[in-house]
Parts: sequence; C-alpha cells; structure tokens
Amino acid sequence: MRKHDRFDFQEKIEQIKEDFGFDFVGVALVQSAERRFELRWTYAIGNRSERYRRIVLQSGKGIAGHVFKSGKPFLVDNTEKVLGSRDLFNYPIIDVEGLKSFGAIPLYQSNRVQGVLLVGYRSVGELSAEAFAQFRRVIETQIGPYTSGERIES
Amino acid sequence: MIRVSDAQLNDLLLKLFENSAEAIFFFDRHGKVIALNHAAELILDAEVLDRMAAGDKEAICLTCKGYTSEQEMQTCMSCYMKNPQQDISSFQVYLDTKGKGVIPYTASYQTIDVENGIRVFMLRDLTKQFKTQEMLNQKMMMKNVIKAQEDERKRISRELHDGVAQEMLSSLVELRVLKYMNVDQEVLQKVQQTEGTLMRLLDDIRHLSVELRPAALDDLGLEAAFRTHFKWIEKNYGLVVHFTSELESKRFEGEVETVVYRICQEAVFNALKYADVDEVNVRLFEENEALQLHVADQGAGFDLNIVQPKGTGLGLYGMRERAELAEGQLTIASAPGKGTRIQLEIPLRKGGALVEDHNRG
Repeated sequence: MRKHDRFDFQEKIEQIKEDFGFDFVGVALVQSAERRFELRWTYAIGNRSERYRRIVLQSGKGIAGHVFKSGKPFLVDNTEKVLGSRDLFNYPIIDVEGLKSFGAIPLYQSNRVQGVLLVGYRSVGELSAEAFAQFRRVIETQIGPYTSGERIES
Repeated sequence: MIRVSDAQLNDLLLKLFENSAEAIFFFDRHGKVIALNHAAELILDAEVLDRMAAGDKEAICLTCKGYTSEQEMQTCMSCYMKNPQQDISSFQVYLDTKGKGVIPYTASYQTIDVENGIRVFMLRDLTKQFKTQEMLNQKMMMKNVIKAQEDERKRISRELHDGVAQEMLSSLVELRVLKYMNVDQEVLQKVQQTEGTLMRLLDDIRHLSVELRPAALDDLGLEAAFRTHFKWIEKNYGLVVHFTSELESKRFEGEVETVVYRICQEAVFNALKYADVDEVNVRLFEENEALQLHVADQGAGFDLNIVQPKGTGLGLYGMRERAELAEGQLTIASAPGKGTRIQLEIPLRKGGALVEDHNRG
C-alpha cells in the first residue's frame, strides 16, 4: 500500500474548497505500477460531471499534463482568452467542468512531480494572480505525502 | 451514303448557319468578312460588327485575344489568319466576347472554296467543357492529396510503431532487469520512477502512431480500429462511445475503410467538441448492398442552414469530400437541442467485399 492511500485526500480537498470558496478542486495522481503509472484524476469535489474519472492524462497535454511535465504552477484567469474557445476540447476537465479561471500546482514526492492539484472557478477572473499567489502561500505546506514546491534537499 | 437533293441540302445548310450555337464566319481571300451568322453576332461588340461590315480586315483582331500554341496559352505569333495556305482543323482561341469577357473557344479555320479563296472560321464555346474538366481535375487532385496524406501518415505511423516504440520497449525491459540485480533501495526507487516515465513515453509514442493512422485499420479492419480509437477517446476526453458493429470482422476495400474511418473520426470529434454530451452512439452495419455508418448524439445540435459555423466549418466539408471519393452518400440531420445524426452510406461492389489490397502503397 502506498503512502498516499492512507492520507484522506477527499477530506483535504473539501477543506481547500471550503476555505477558498473554489467551485472545483481536483487532484491527479500517478497510479501504482499495476495501473501502469497512469496519471489519473483520483479525487475531485464540486464536479458537475463524472467524465474526469475516465480520463487518463498524458504528460505534456492539457493543463495537468503541462504542470506535470514542467513541474511549475500554471494560472489561467480567463479560459477563453488564454486557451481559445476553439481548442478547448483539448482541455477536457476545464471544458467539461466549465472552469473560467483556474490554477494548477505540481505535487512533489522525492523531488519528482507525482501529481497535480487543480483549483478553479466557473467565472472569469475570479482566480487572479494575487489570489493564486495567496492560495499557494497558504497551501505551501505538506499535502499528505506530497509537497507543493520542489525540495532542494533529500 | 444518304442522298438528298441539292435543294434540301441547301435548306439544311442554311438552317445550320442560322440556328447553330456555333459562331460561323466566312472570309474572302483578303481576310474580309463576307458573312457571319447570328451566333457570331451575339458574341461580338457592336463596334467590331460595324468595322467588319465596313470591310476592315483587322476587325477580328479587336475581339481575338490570341490562340493557344505549343509555346503559349494566348499568342498572336504566326496568326491563323495570316497563314492562308494552312488549314487548321482545330485549335483553341480566346475571344473577348460581349458580356462574358475573355473566354476560350475551340476553333477551326479551313478553306472551303479554293478558287475564290473563301475560308470558314467556326467557333464553339468551351466554357462548359472547361468547367467539367476543372471539376474533374479538382476531384482527381483532391483524391490524390488525400491518398498522399494517408500514405505519408501510414509511413510515419509504421516507423514510430515498428522502430521507435520497439527500441523504447527493449530499453524498458533492460531497465527492469536492474530491479532484480543487487542494488540498494535508493537506486531501486530511482529505477522505478524512470520506468514510469519511460512507460508513459512509450504510451505517448503509441498514441501518436495510432493517431496518425491506426495500423489496426490496415491489419485488422474497421471494427478493431474503431474499438481502439474509441477507447482512446474515452481515456483522453472521458467521452464514452457506444459502438455496435454488425459486420463480423468483414473486410472492405482499403479506400472504403479509410473513408469510413476518417468520417466517423470527424463525426465523433464534432460531437466531442460541440455537442456537449458525455456519450455518442456509433453503429456500423451492412444494408441494401451498402456499408452503413450511423453516428448519433443527443446533444446540443445545430442549425444546418446557419451561415457562420461553430468552428472552422471545414470538418463537414471534408466529410462530404471524403464520402464522394468512395461514391458514398452523407446525410446530416440536426436541429438545435435535438442532437445530431450523421449517416454514411457507401455502395459495395457486388462480390468485391473481400479485397486483399490493404497493404498497398
């Protein structure tokens, strides 16, 4: 059994949603070896569709894939303006959940990105750069077995 | 040979001259117009007609924009008029006509009375034939472009699948061997992480290969290719495709399979992009000696008559183009809020169901 299975992620994201008033919070995690190390949305709250459960993320594709690959946080304050409405289908979670402003941060374990935390609103501009920075400062601590920033030591 | 009296023949020739859609001019030895018919009058400007009537030898040059030689599309070099010894039975000439601009004619210029040097100049409008030719060329071109694209995709797809992915797999196997060697925990963990990265990379390459052109389409046929594709759609976009096939793994001509696959792919993508649905129904079956494909969703739908399409509007056009390539019929039924239903029907050549040309090219 892996470490994060013991940690109650669902409770944690519910709390995050509550604290910041997000419309949607989701966590994508690298699955175990038996599941071919796939990157999947494992926990979500505020979702309006079950589609996220079926999606296997590809590294470098979509928002979470991009964060997963680059290891850097990603903020979009206006979905249509930044991603364009024509190519939105390439960002299934954003599209399906109708997120208009959102941010994603990498989750590190032993200096490697092992997951992505996505938070967002269904209205444009609600997650501003300041709000996202504020959120990251508060969340900077440990999230279960993961850290939200790269650790230099270890 | 059928014999008619000279009077009858005269009558027929006169009628031909008066009623023919071809423009007919009679020129004398000096290049003066001695007669022209109604069809000829219709294509000429009043000014040209006046000058012809006045006996101006150069009048025809006002309207003639040159003929097609081996060197040039429109030229006046060694003009057909200036070369009385030569009979040219058929050539192409461009005339500046009244109301229609410069259009091509097929022309003949021949001596009909050697003694008096009378020659006849006949013109037949080529615009229609040109349009037909152009359409044909365009279709052939489209067909070739699509074929070239498919072939190139097939080549790269195979290269990725048989070359790059294979190499990747063997290095993955080599890496796994490390796990059974005497290495310490830290190294083991690192190896495991690298294994994960490599596996995801391998998956990416395989996706890329299948996305370009599924090998399954050539090797196993439509059903297998569709099942793989729909599984991929579900994994990538979370859209569920309910696929029913009543073909029992039957194979069709390579071109037909490609057309059906690409059209279905586009139709499902459209549903994914615009219909705002979580599921799509696809049915593949044979009926009335034709291969039938139905793609239906219960989503947003759209107004078929709308001028400004959501998206580029090229998708539906491309689907129709592809359908035409296989002499298929594409029907699109949709209305706002009523979902969308796309039906493709491709007639099958009798007895030609099993064709072994899937790996050509």
